[in-house]
Amino acid sequence: MEIIRILLRSKRFVLGFGILAAVLAFALLGPRFLTDVAPFQRVGGLYDAPSRDTPLGTDNFGRDVFTQLMFGTRTSLHIGLVAGFVATLIGVTIGTLAGYVSGMVEEALMGFTNVLITIPPIVVLILLSVAVDARTATTMGVIIGVTAWPWTARAVRAQTSSLRTREHVDIARISGVGSLEMMLVEILPYMFSYIFMAFILQLTGAILAEATLSMLGLGPFQTVSLGTMLHWSLMWESVRIGAWWAFVPATVFLSITTFSLILMNAGMDEIFNPTLRHTR
Amino acid sequence: MTVLALAALLVAGCGRAQPLPRNETVYKAGMQWGPVSGFNPFMSGDRWPVTQPANDGHLIYEPLFAYNLLSGELDPVLARRLEWVDDRTAHVTLFDGTRWQDGQPLTVGDVVYTYDLVKRYDTPHAAVWNYLERVTAVDDRTVAFTLDAARPHRAMVLHELTMVRIVPQHVWEILERDVDSILEIENRNPVGSGPYTLLRHSPEQVAVERFDDYWGREVHGVPAPRFIVHPIFRSNDAGNLALERNQVDWSQQFVPEIWRMWEDRGAPVGTWFSEAPYFLPATIPSLFINLQRDGLREPLVRRALAYAIDYPRIAETAMSRYSPVARSSMIIPVGVAEQRFFNEEDVAEHGWRYDPEEAVRILEEELGATRGSDGIYVLPDGTRLGPWIAHCPFGWTDWMTALEIVSESARAVGIDVRTEFPEAPVSHDRRYTGNFDLTLWMPEGGQSPAHPWIRFHHVMDNRGVAEMGDIAFRNWNRYQNDEAEALLDAAALTEDEAELAAIYRRLDRIFMRDIPMIGLMYRPWQFYSFNETYWTNFPTEDNPYAPPMHGHTGMQIYVNLKPVER
Repeated sequence: MEIIRILLRSKRFVLGFGILAAVLAFALLGPRFLTDVAPFQRVGGLYDAPSRDTPLGTDNFGRDVFTQLMFGTRTSLHIGLVAGFVATLIGVTIGTLAGYVSGMVEEALMGFTNVLITIPPIVVLILLSVAVDARTATTMGVIIGVTAWPWTARAVRAQTSSLRTREHVDIARISGVGSLEMMLVEILPYMFSYIFMAFILQLTGAILAEATLSMLGLGPFQTVSLGTMLHWSLMWESVRIGAWWAFVPATVFLSITTFSLILMNAGMDEIFNPTLRHTR
Repeated sequence: MTVLALAALLVAGCGRAQPLPRNETVYKAGMQWGPVSGFNPFMSGDRWPVTQPANDGHLIYEPLFAYNLLSGELDPVLARRLEWVDDRTAHVTLFDGTRWQDGQPLTVGDVVYTYDLVKRYDTPHAAVWNYLERVTAVDDRTVAFTLDAARPHRAMVLHELTMVRIVPQHVWEILERDVDSILEIENRNPVGSGPYTLLRHSPEQVAVERFDDYWGREVHGVPAPRFIVHPIFRSNDAGNLALERNQVDWSQQFVPEIWRMWEDRGAPVGTWFSEAPYFLPATIPSLFINLQRDGLREPLVRRALAYAIDYPRIAETAMSRYSPVARSSMIIPVGVAEQRFFNEEDVAEHGWRYDPEEAVRILEEELGATRGSDGIYVLPDGTRLGPWIAHCPFGWTDWMTALEIVSESARAVGIDVRTEFPEAPVSHDRRYTGNFDLTLWMPEGGQSPAHPWIRFHHVMDNRGVAEMGDIAFRNWNRYQNDEAEALLDAAALTEDEAELAAIYRRLDRIFMRDIPMIGLMYRPWQFYSFNETYWTNFPTEDNPYAPPMHGHTGMQIYVNLKPVER
């Protein structure tokens, strides 16, 4: 409760959270209250302009863009959450291990991380996406997650290295606390705010990575995401035709979702990072 | 590499240095998608303007005849007449005065040499020799084509007479000497007999210039444009934008919602029909079904799938209204000459249409399948209906969208169909080797004197088709039926309309019973759209002096175009 009260002090965080909550409500509750068609249901022709029944027109399949937008946002967030969770889990595990256990283990883990960081993730992403047979939203999230963790690992290692020299850690060590307990109890909790911020950035990156992959035609199967919406609008030349409703809503939703997350991140940075904290 | 790159830059630089006079130039689009690799008329692949007769393939090299899409007949090009002197001998008479662009006369010797050439090397045209016994000179203007006694199939030979472009013996004898196969010849300086010569080519464009000493000035007329240029666009939308902005005069590209160009934006753009379907339907992109997969092996499952597919939606969205709703026949019901064989009663009685309830009824009542918790049916023997992958090359938007609709409508019924869009070479390879569940392709795209026979032959004749795993160029699912093969042989030997109609009727009924493939939509042979800012008098439905083609008898369009005075 205390933490929420602190967070609410940042206007940026509140604004970002407000936008995200609105997007979430639209994606999760919209299908129940705002539309009565299924995402794949045909309601009109190829690129029908917005009308009473289809507030954002139809896409190239004749499906309702407004409905697509709800389900698309939901899928994109789903992929983002899975990817953010996977990337943060791997990054924190490797970073904490490397930062806490020095010597060969650290060298090996960070060497591996540094090698991966030099490979452009988009290349690995494309190769993995092509290799995977059933690209559901969840598998796509995992794929994006396993390519995105290295920078989290590096940052967490740096934090861990500095935490390791704190006095409370020394005291615990003298008391004979084991390494695992040490990492879980004495180190990790002190990084929670940082890890949560890293998670939000991973989530943002993953939503954009999904859009990139989908626009290349490597999007999730049999579901609609913001990226696949953009993919088909590009393929069907909606820009030349002037069917703005096919690409503007998805672009706007991608932008405001990532913008709200980045805003939340900046707000938290303000709170948790003393050098940025406004003097009051 | 550096030298090559520099050379390419130089060529490209020259291309930009001299803009051609706009009022004397026709710009085309949609037939060349990458840099040209030479101008050999016997190779397949994009090499505008020599690739194939339909794609401006008469500009430099000419065949003996051209296929007329509207009449279904052969029209003269190099030859003025074809006469059957007995059951299996055709006499083809050349026009007087035929001549190569280098001034040498074009003789019957060149014709005999060319047909010999396509046989000696394994060119795509070598197949004509399955039906030919010999090609011989009768006199100095006449060539005799003698059909093979075992396979005297006139229509297939007529088809090839429109496809094989005649090349000069005195040039190709020398070219031939230095190579193992004529398919290796790049032929950078083509010498043909046509009304245009190669002007220049670069990675950005290919340009030809009118040849004013053309032999056929009297017979075929003088083309109006002095230059014809095919810019090489990176993508479909770049070419379509150029058409809308008057930078392209005449296009073969798929343009989604082309009517918006004139209805919404007032561009002087037109198509053959001024309203839907805008283009003349001529081929059937079809979903080939792997008959050896568990589940798909069962004809009733294929029948349920056929009922499940939303054909009206494919025509409306995937084909952008350019297709009538697909019927369950191998014969195109409208527009082209073969429509006379379409049998409405048989289709109504034995065929299918979009009816998801009927699909469910077949699955439940006739097959006894039960619906699993995931909504997908399972046959009594435990076979789940899918997942089956339907694939076509990436970037073919109309086909990709059609397959998405197949997938959605099949799943709505309870058949698990998924889509995949690999790069074109991968997709082709899977199709050729039979390594697919469902694949979309046109059985014998285009039209010819041999249609619809050649389409039935493509889908239902397994003789001479390589085994599964090896590369086959037709009958990709290796459908085999003795009765169909016998009917095909009978159809090849008769020209009696009533007899042909009866045979095609029986073949179509076998097709509708066995369902080796499902036609999803109709597609024009070529997309024919034009912009009349600089040139007018393109043929349309109301002014049908030539068919809506970029080659064959569509060549006549160049003669009839009129520059706009400005």
